[in-house]
Amino acid sequence: MKRNLVVATLVVFAFSSIFLLSSCAKKQVITEEEMKAPAPEVAKVEEKAAVPAAKEKEMEQAKIERLKELEEAKKREAAIDEEKAWMERRAAKFEAESIYFDFDKSFIKVENRPVLQEKAAFLKDYPDMRVRIEGNCDERGTNEYNLALGDRRGSSSKNFLSSLGIAADRIETISYGEERPRALGHNEASWSQNRRDDFVLIR
Amino acid sequence: MKSILVSKILFSGRVISQLLIGILVLGIGIVFETNDAKAKLYIDITSPSMRRISIAVPDFKYLGHKNEHPELSSKLAGIISNDFDLSGYFRPLDKGSFIEGPGAGITRDSINFKDWSVIGAELLLKAGYECIGQQLKVEARLFEVFSGNQVYGKRILGLVEQSRYLMHRLANDILFALTRHPGPFLTKIAFVGTSTGQKEIYLADYDGHNLKQMTSHHTITLSPRCSPSGDRMIYTSFRDSGTVLFMHDMIKGWTKKISDRKGLNIAAAWRPNGKELALTLTISGNPDIYLIDITGKIVKRLTKNWGIDVSPTFSPDGEKMAFVSNRSGSPQIYILDLRNERVERLTFEGSYNTSPAWSKLDRIAFAGSSDGRFDIYTISPDGRDLRRITQDQGNNEDPCWSPDGRYLAFCSNRTDGNYHIFISNANGENQRQITFFAGDQLSPSWAQQVK
Repeated sequence: MKRNLVVATLVVFAFSSIFLLSSCAKKQVITEEEMKAPAPEVAKVEEKAAVPAAKEKEMEQAKIERLKELEEAKKREAAIDEEKAWMERRAAKFEAESIYFDFDKSFIKVENRPVLQEKAAFLKDYPDMRVRIEGNCDERGTNEYNLALGDRRGSSSKNFLSSLGIAADRIETISYGEERPRALGHNEASWSQNRRDDFVLIR
Repeated sequence: MKSILVSKILFSGRVISQLLIGILVLGIGIVFETNDAKAKLYIDITSPSMRRISIAVPDFKYLGHKNEHPELSSKLAGIISNDFDLSGYFRPLDKGSFIEGPGAGITRDSINFKDWSVIGAELLLKAGYECIGQQLKVEARLFEVFSGNQVYGKRILGLVEQSRYLMHRLANDILFALTRHPGPFLTKIAFVGTSTGQKEIYLADYDGHNLKQMTSHHTITLSPRCSPSGDRMIYTSFRDSGTVLFMHDMIKGWTKKISDRKGLNIAAAWRPNGKELALTLTISGNPDIYLIDITGKIVKRLTKNWGIDVSPTFSPDGEKMAFVSNRSGSPQIYILDLRNERVERLTFEGSYNTSPAWSKLDRIAFAGSSDGRFDIYTISPDGRDLRRITQDQGNNEDPCWSPDGRYLAFCSNRTDGNYHIFISNANGENQRQITFFAGDQLSPSWAQQVK
């Protein structure tokens, strides 16, 4: 019996201590919350005091950074302009340089290979560009035969550029036969100017 | 001939005058006989060498009371005299040599034939005309000077504004009476002209008059080809960038795109049946000739060769096609037999032979060059009997035949450095310049009179 009483007392004690402890803990939590509440105000006051000096510094920094950025952008633009100008120069050369053929022939002459190689390099550098090759002939012979011959001349250049890795769908050809002479004389000096492929960029 | 017979039956009385008034209202001329004398076959046009008959065509005499349109007196005579000249069968005498007095008439009794025999005339065309307002009546009589016999007589009615047409009709009728073959005087010639600074297609009467601009594409327009029946024309134009084949109906007025495939659509030719065309396409990557129907659908690929194949022209039966190919290294003319697909080379002389044109009388004309200059030649389709048509007179190119195969047209720069259209007999005799326009006139195609 005595032993039972002891156990019961212990249990009661234990329970009551748990209760006490738990109520104590709750109180502590509340206290902490209460204590926390005024804290931000204190912080704000401190921040307010720190603003003027920090912001000035920051703005100064931003200004410098902005200036730097502008300068860099200018440099970049200048570089782009230069690149563009360089491209335009190359494009103008691309379009200005025709290749020339022998009478009634459509094969690419050895001396014209470097010209076409340069054109291929240009087209590789600027993959958005396409080219129209215009085949032309001198006035001798019929315009019907010459339209066909001009077509073959255009195809010769197209095939050459293709063989250098330019996709066929970036190259179109048109034949003008003898209809668009560059030189109007009726002699070999003029004819040799007229047996040509012209290259026009399509952008 | 039918209308002539009908006219004979009805000749005299009011019936015919009513008929003529009806025809005049419609604006159509009519030819009818005024004399029973039938012309014998004066000229055998099939004979290999022909002597031109000298003919005198004095100014037409005004037959009415009030002399309306006096300018027609020499104009009408000039038109028909030029027809006689261009026909190649006649040699019209110079008007300045005529000695006949002003009192002479146009009937046998009122003509002193000695006036004409002394100046060397073998035939004499005497004609008179009368105008009532815009209506024109012409009476024409052809005499054999030696015998004084009238060999032909007609009255012709129409409108003053149709006077060229009426004279060409009269000339056709006279030529038919003398040769039993219709003349070329009512045919037309299409060509490429550069007078606007661009290349456009034009159509003129066979003598170069009555010019009409057929296209206004403001670009390069090439290779007109008139249909066998003369009512349609095909041509190649750069109007929509690149070459496109167009067809134009000259009667109905429409124009259609027939072939606008990628690459070339050039140098089309009519098959004589009028239902198919041959042209050069590059759809295979190489210029080859294809047969298409007139809606543009491919019927058949005709050539398959690594080289250039262009400028097709069909034999009269439509079963063979001559064309230009550089398969042997330089442009030469070949003939394809459509039945067995065999190809034979036709031209061997000269380094550059092109522009074949196959006549209804089975000869092939072409332009060839051996010394840098181009000249016209004709050859039999079997490769025999090569004849040179032009020589030492500038460049001569783009030959074509008249619909009946008796005349050639081509362009030549022999006169002023520009190209103009010339016509000649099939054998090259009697070459005459018929276009005198500014710029070049190129690539003629001779159109049948539309019936």
